[in-house]
Amino acid sequence: MATLETDVLVVGGGATGAGVAWDAALRGYDVVLADRADLAEGTSGRFHGLLHSGGRYVVKDPVAAEECVTENAVLRRIVPDCIEDTGGLFVTTPDDDPAYGDRFLEGCRATNLPGEEIDVAEALRMEPRLNPGIRRAFTVPDASIDAWKTVWALARGAASRGARILTHHKVVDLHVAGEAVTGARLRNELTGEELDVQAGFTLNASGAWAAQIVKMAGIGGVGVIPGKGIMIAMNHRLVNTVVNRCTMPADGDILVPIRTVSVIGTTDIRAADPDEIPVTQDEVDQMLDDGERLVPSFRDARALRVWAGVRPLFQDEKAGDGEAVDTRDVTRAHAVVDHVARDDIGRFLTMSGGKLTTLRLMAQDIVDAMCRQLGHDRPCTTATTPVPAGGDSHANGNGYYHLGSRLRRREATLQDEQLICECELIGRSRLEETMRRRGTTNLDDIRRSLRLGMGPCQGGFCIYRATGILHGVGRLDGDEASSSLRGFLQERWKGVWPILYGDQLRQARLDDWIFQGLLDVEHMP
Amino acid sequence: MSHHDAIVVGVGLAGLTAAARLAEGGARVLVLAKGVGATHLGPCTIDVIGYAPERVERPGEALAGLGDGHPYAAVGRDGVQAALDWFKGVMAPYPYVGGLEENLLLPTAVGALKPSAAVPGTMAAGDLREGGEVCVVGFRALKDFHATLLADNLARAGIPARAVELDLVPEGRADVNSLGFARAFDAPAFRSEVAAHLTARLGRDERLAFPAVLGIAGPTAAWSELRDRLARPVFEVPTLPPSVPGMRVFAILRERLRRAGARVILNAVVHDAERSGGRVTGVQARVGLRDVRHGADWVVLATGGFASGGLELDSRWRAREVALGLPVSGAPGPGEERFRAGYFDDHPMGRAGVRVGRDLRPEGLDNVLVAGATLAGAQPWREKSGDGISLSTGHRAAELILGQRAAAPPTEPAKAEA
Repeated sequence: MATLETDVLVVGGGATGAGVAWDAALRGYDVVLADRADLAEGTSGRFHGLLHSGGRYVVKDPVAAEECVTENAVLRRIVPDCIEDTGGLFVTTPDDDPAYGDRFLEGCRATNLPGEEIDVAEALRMEPRLNPGIRRAFTVPDASIDAWKTVWALARGAASRGARILTHHKVVDLHVAGEAVTGARLRNELTGEELDVQAGFTLNASGAWAAQIVKMAGIGGVGVIPGKGIMIAMNHRLVNTVVNRCTMPADGDILVPIRTVSVIGTTDIRAADPDEIPVTQDEVDQMLDDGERLVPSFRDARALRVWAGVRPLFQDEKAGDGEAVDTRDVTRAHAVVDHVARDDIGRFLTMSGGKLTTLRLMAQDIVDAMCRQLGHDRPCTTATTPVPAGGDSHANGNGYYHLGSRLRRREATLQDEQLICECELIGRSRLEETMRRRGTTNLDDIRRSLRLGMGPCQGGFCIYRATGILHGVGRLDGDEASSSLRGFLQERWKGVWPILYGDQLRQARLDDWIFQGLLDVEHMP
Repeated sequence: MSHHDAIVVGVGLAGLTAAARLAEGGARVLVLAKGVGATHLGPCTIDVIGYAPERVERPGEALAGLGDGHPYAAVGRDGVQAALDWFKGVMAPYPYVGGLEENLLLPTAVGALKPSAAVPGTMAAGDLREGGEVCVVGFRALKDFHATLLADNLARAGIPARAVELDLVPEGRADVNSLGFARAFDAPAFRSEVAAHLTARLGRDERLAFPAVLGIAGPTAAWSELRDRLARPVFEVPTLPPSVPGMRVFAILRERLRRAGARVILNAVVHDAERSGGRVTGVQARVGLRDVRHGADWVVLATGGFASGGLELDSRWRAREVALGLPVSGAPGPGEERFRAGYFDDHPMGRAGVRVGRDLRPEGLDNVLVAGATLAGAQPWREKSGDGISLSTGHRAAELILGQRAAAPPTEPAKAEA
């Protein structure tokens, strides 16, 4: 078995893990990050894309709100090209209590959140599709953030400082020697090969899967309640500003414009297993009704895709959490679980809870705790160090992502190359470069990097092309091409069938026409 | 307002067939359609029945086993045969080969062998039931056809195959679709260039597969010239829309309609029907901002299924037929399972459509006949039956109307057009 030695093993390649790897690498540690799948394939890649201003928590959870206020500003400085500065609105719909707005403003003041009430007429001018029956409106500095881009940028930044990023490497066991964790045994999920990592310290950043990792260290009594949330991406930007219902956090009360779509979220349902989170019809219907409350005729708009994510809501029996039933009441604030104090196990820390907006602070807290345990004095510098932007930066003048930038760049080279994905404006050279850089043959991995197949036609046209190109450049043999194409169609189907109505059903049937009637993918060798 | 013997709604294969046959039979026909139809999307091979659920070798024999709920039950083997005979006659400028006896097996663009009953002559040499050596010719500038993928998959299926890719770029553009290539192939100079690039590179016993882009103005000119110059069998492989073979078929049927005196109005969205008892006496069509009533003795509905917009499912999971408001059968209701978790599964929603009797009439309406993908009871893409159903039900609808007209000429005098 091959062996790697490192200062720090980070378990989990979501926003937290990538943030931890970046933070530790910046402090001069040698880092290995392992994820059982692709980066941001778990919770981070399955959220609504909201960079919280903190407004959502000002009444219910002021500590979480304050963290959001600070971290929102920090992320705008360090990963601006992953953020679209949409701004946010909190609106009192006809179904909401207008008095909540007063508590909301009070909470904003108490947490230093720059929330301001504006005229309803002004809000409707900003967002003409909003429910004209809204009674109050408040502006906040919400934004949308591209989780994939963020996680990739952090991982690339860490790698540029020597970190080794091992995707598709699952932790199958932790090494425990005496009273410390000394590394882990990994299995490459693509090849089946095993790899032994000797680590000076192990940081568990595996979110909803953290309890499974903790158990490998022989530690009991830590549970994670997977809190399932579903989200639906609607074709078009129904709004260009993040819109929140001004009420206590509930289901279906956020609409986030991100990239070419807008995402409505979310629900909060206790799941038994973070890997078993099917979307039900009732949940879809509920989201559509909730959308209708924010934007009338929401149901007439086209739904592109539905997915579910799992929040890592922690339950520590020793801390007396007991059996919380409503997962929404479990705190969203994060905490570092100190396994020395709790279990007499050293060189091992677990991150519990948290949210994407506070990923940098979470990383700082857990790496600080590691430094304290190791007796190192290495201060955190992530709040002031910009993360290197990727080659596909879409930044506009002020550094933020801008919706029109991909189109602008594409139009400049319109005559020079083939457009492979018309929906997301992906040219052939970009596709080929991504295949090379990522070294992946998995169409679903490429989808996450490029948004290939994420537009209205859901891969109807581009996926045959991408398969042909992957095969043509020799990265796939015929066998792999067939299974990659079939795998993509199945993965796509999972996200579309619960929302197939209206024009998207029509689109899906056209795609059937192509994949079954014309290409007959089902019977390809 | 106008009055016609028959109004046909839709210009896919079903609508074009019904309208052409009616007009030939002496009926005054008006065709109303929202836009060009399915011809431009599909391969235009006449797949009668390819899987039921195992692969079908003899489509004529398999028809009887499809059950009473299937659209073919209203047509029968003889009806399908009659439609195919008529179609092959009409398609003389772009001849079709094959029939109900045996399915041909033609490679798709990903190298699956797909069963079709009748195919354009430009594709027929692709019948690989007996095997054969294949050289797939691709063009790097055509993103919708990948020669090496096709060749590799044929080889994996046991058919010796290889790919040759040419760098010829029509009009010097980097991104040219199938139609752009087809127009290039209309020019003899481009054909010569292609032939010149290939001559020295071919094996002795190879047959040549090209993307289905060999010309659009003359449907067979480029194909026959390449075949002759390269002295080997040449065949086209259909690929992503826009479908060049489909456009050839559309052009021929449209011309046929024109010659037979039928009137065609595109951008006409039929959205309502005027009823009197068990009859539809006219339809309402929106053309731009105008809403016009057209009267008719007979209506053939051939607007397609969910893909074409003839059927719709709203976000409360209610299905409707959009032109005449006919009831939709087989669509699971709210709370019921519509789709299964596997993409290639048999989905409960798959057979939804308008249910008709043996005479293609929906219950309760005497003078409306339904044809094509609007019909309930089939899964055209899964079973490879789409164009077979469209052709045969469109043809059958016209025959039924012509038969009724012959038996009982309309008592009401035809009104002059307004």
